[in-house]
Amino acid sequence: MRPHIPDSDELDDEIRGHLAISIKQRIERGEDPETARLAALKEFGNVALTRDSIRSVWRPRWIDSAEGLARDIKFALRALMRVKGMAATVVVTLALGIGANAAIFSVVRGVLLRPLVNRDEDRLLYIRQSAPGIGAENTTFSVPEIDDIKSRVTTINAFGDFSTVDFTMIGLGGEPRVVKAGVVSGSFFAVMGLRPVLGRLLNAQDDGPNAPGAAVLTHRFWTTSLGSDPGVIGKAIRLGPRSATVVGVLEPSVPYPAATEIIANVVTSPHHLGATMVTNRTHRMTELFGRLAPGATIEAARAELTSVHAALMREHPEAYSPKGDVQLHVSTLRDQIAAPARTILLVLLGAAAVVFVIACSNVANLILARSVRREGELAVRAALGAGSGALRRTLLAESLVLCGAGAALGLLLARPFVAMVSSYAARFSIRALEVRVDTSVLWVGAGLAIAAAVLLAYVPRLPSPHAPAGLGLATGGVRITPGTNRRLRLFATTQIAFSFVLLAGAGMLLATLVALQSARTGYDMRQVLAVDIPVSATGLGDPTAITFYQEATRRISTLPGVEGAAVGSFVPWRDAGSLGPGFLFTVEGYTPADGEENPRGRMRMVAPRFFDVLGVPLLAGRDFTDDDRRGTEPVVIVSQSVAQRLFPNGEAVNRHLTWTDPVFSIYGKPVPSRIVGIVADVDDENVVPEPAMTIYRPVWQMGVAGRLFVRTAGDPYALVPAVTRVVRDMSSEQPVERAATLEDVRAEVLSPERVNAFVFSGFAGIALLIAVVGVAGVLAFSVSARTREFGVRLAVGSAPRHLLTMVLSEGAAIAAIGIVAGAIGGFALASVAARFVAGVQLPGALTVAGAAVVLVAAAIVASLMPAARASRVDVLQALRSE
Amino acid sequence: MAKHRDDQRLDLLQGTLDMLILRTLQWGAQHGHGIGQAIRSQSDDLLKVETGSLYPALHRLEKRGWLKAEWGVSEANQRAKYYRLTAAGKAQLVREQDRWSQLVDAIGRVMNPAPAGKE
Repeated sequence: MRPHIPDSDELDDEIRGHLAISIKQRIERGEDPETARLAALKEFGNVALTRDSIRSVWRPRWIDSAEGLARDIKFALRALMRVKGMAATVVVTLALGIGANAAIFSVVRGVLLRPLVNRDEDRLLYIRQSAPGIGAENTTFSVPEIDDIKSRVTTINAFGDFSTVDFTMIGLGGEPRVVKAGVVSGSFFAVMGLRPVLGRLLNAQDDGPNAPGAAVLTHRFWTTSLGSDPGVIGKAIRLGPRSATVVGVLEPSVPYPAATEIIANVVTSPHHLGATMVTNRTHRMTELFGRLAPGATIEAARAELTSVHAALMREHPEAYSPKGDVQLHVSTLRDQIAAPARTILLVLLGAAAVVFVIACSNVANLILARSVRREGELAVRAALGAGSGALRRTLLAESLVLCGAGAALGLLLARPFVAMVSSYAARFSIRALEVRVDTSVLWVGAGLAIAAAVLLAYVPRLPSPHAPAGLGLATGGVRITPGTNRRLRLFATTQIAFSFVLLAGAGMLLATLVALQSARTGYDMRQVLAVDIPVSATGLGDPTAITFYQEATRRISTLPGVEGAAVGSFVPWRDAGSLGPGFLFTVEGYTPADGEENPRGRMRMVAPRFFDVLGVPLLAGRDFTDDDRRGTEPVVIVSQSVAQRLFPNGEAVNRHLTWTDPVFSIYGKPVPSRIVGIVADVDDENVVPEPAMTIYRPVWQMGVAGRLFVRTAGDPYALVPAVTRVVRDMSSEQPVERAATLEDVRAEVLSPERVNAFVFSGFAGIALLIAVVGVAGVLAFSVSARTREFGVRLAVGSAPRHLLTMVLSEGAAIAAIGIVAGAIGGFALASVAARFVAGVQLPGALTVAGAAVVLVAAAIVASLMPAARASRVDVLQALRSE
Repeated sequence: MAKHRDDQRLDLLQGTLDMLILRTLQWGAQHGHGIGQAIRSQSDDLLKVETGSLYPALHRLEKRGWLKAEWGVSEANQRAKYYRLTAAGKAQLVREQDRWSQLVDAIGRVMNPAPAGKE
């Protein structure tokens, strides 16, 4: 049983009792009451003091420890105020390290680890078909494929499908605009496990060609574009040629596969009800989601799906390109969403950890140097009876103050860091946009700070109570031991080594960026404006669409400042990937080698003058003309690569080309087209140009375009309002969007690389800065500790210049050893990382050399000041100083 | 009257007060004043315990579970806190007595070495 803790009344009672007994005894011995009372009080001594010391007996021990620590911390604060510069350096260094780590950690947690809001999200699967042989990461599925999979698989008991469609939306206020929409079957939301925040979601009754059009808005669209208007339910909207009623608003959830604004039922898209969609096995545009059946595991589902898929490929060999090496993949939706961001986030996490190591070793350096300077003070305290525990506690209090301040500042920095990193990571995973600084970051920050504080408290060696402190105690002077010097150098070398790894990495990314930006594209980049004017074509060769494009081109060409205008179907880079890996075709007189399939070519629709407007030279034959229209002979223009590969003798013009891809089988027997021209290769898919097999078809024959290109004399953006007005005059409901010069389109596509290089260079810059401070600090300390030695050297005739080079070479040596260690460590790290992360590259020799030069230069700059001080040592003062 | 002048009093050795308190309470419960008096009279007035040390020591021993305190009425007809040895306190007294006699023995050997050869 724990003893009862007496309160202050009880203590008073006890003391009063003592006095009463004492007084009574004195009176019994014959003293008069007043004398007895005074004598008893005198004998008792200080009542208040006694009461206090009784009370302190009962006080829990931790209060004493806390008081001791508070005293230590107060002492530490006073001590640190005397070395403000050093304290500030430590705090800022730690803040950078902790802030960067806290930020990266919250993004990693938010993007990779946090569960989705979807019900039972660990049983929600995403099924993907890929064809690595023809460079297709995700070919999606066709409706016949999905029907076969649904009917044969038992480990997945519900499937949801989703196809991304761009609708021109009219309604809900604002101008006509193109919205990213999804067309889904009624099972989609049940499979996704999502709920509405308003109204209802789509269900089985919305399926089929006779259901009324129904649309669900995503939460983001509802809140950002409609101001969370609850009256939106029941409103009618026009989606292209069809209309639909808004039936509900989806709860906030990660939009996948695309950042959609509207999800509608199948009836809103005529295309989805057409024969091509329903019967063509190669018409792949649908994403497939599934729910694991009760008791089934993802491994079982993967095995079953793989065997079903293999059977499908055997049954329909014509639908699966042998060269494509078609494969099926199953993963949870969460992993699928995180996948693109995983590598980059892990790399960033690594970079942040490296920055933290550098920061800690720099701080360790500063603290070690400081503790050597205060060895005298510690020795005095040890001599006065302070135990090693108490001394360690003093050091711990000091490093806690430093690390606590560092962590607090770091967490303040974490918020803007998180905003930066998540807007950056959002390019890879949409989930990054939801990332906020949360309490877990506080724990990370506190954990890092405490780890750093404890480590740092154990860096300095305590004065041994057994060895006399000797001179140090007497003078409080600095006596640097070889051991201390070695440790200082070790920390400085560590910093250089880690900085080198980061610098080389950043250099590699910068080199890639420079290569990307300086690549020749073959287009006139500056003077060409690309504009999206999506026309909801009701079918191939729609005559009204062709008339619209012709009239728009004619009117825009006459605008002042316009040198030429043409429509096309594909904005370079911006539309990359939207048409898949190209279509099979063949040409007259060409037979593929045994086992080879026909070549694949990109199909682009262009109007007359397109090549002229974009600055792509015509190499042979002629351009399309207005006479290449519906009802005339089908013609095509091919890129130089097609001409050279398939017509090695150079006779491409006037030969015939035929599309053989099964996706076109729906249009009946393919009609050969005559090649009328050859243009230079331009690669509109890749930012780094590669030879491109492209086949251009005339818009006036095909009717499909949707992109307008305008060549201007002056500032291209100045023409945007005029162009918009011309189009709207012709059709008030026509969207005119995303006007940008080709140069800006390419810059936008390149921005992930640019941001990669930027973020990584940021880390490398921080690391370099910290390392420079570290090297300078070590040398400054080493010089000040060796003042006497330098004095002696000067006295015996050393030239000051000699001392200067000595210190400089010391700095260079630290840098050189660090670089070698960093190169070896970095190489080892890269080979370890390559085992876990795909696509790890080693930087080129030039980049490595560049990073080394930067570091050595930085180290020499850092050594300059201490070196100058060494060479200016006053001989007499140095010799007298001890 | 005191048998000794104040300057002849002995300071208690560090750590011995606890042992003296435990020993005094061997004969039964007693209040703080009584404990102080008992130590003084049994040491022929050579040891005087200051109340400033006595009471914190009593509470310390109670906290460690060697003493148990309860309220009673003193001979002065005054409420007073009586301290009593617990079982743990008795065991502690035995331990401290052993340690003390070892210490005395050891110090005695150093201060008065046995004559050579008499081992």
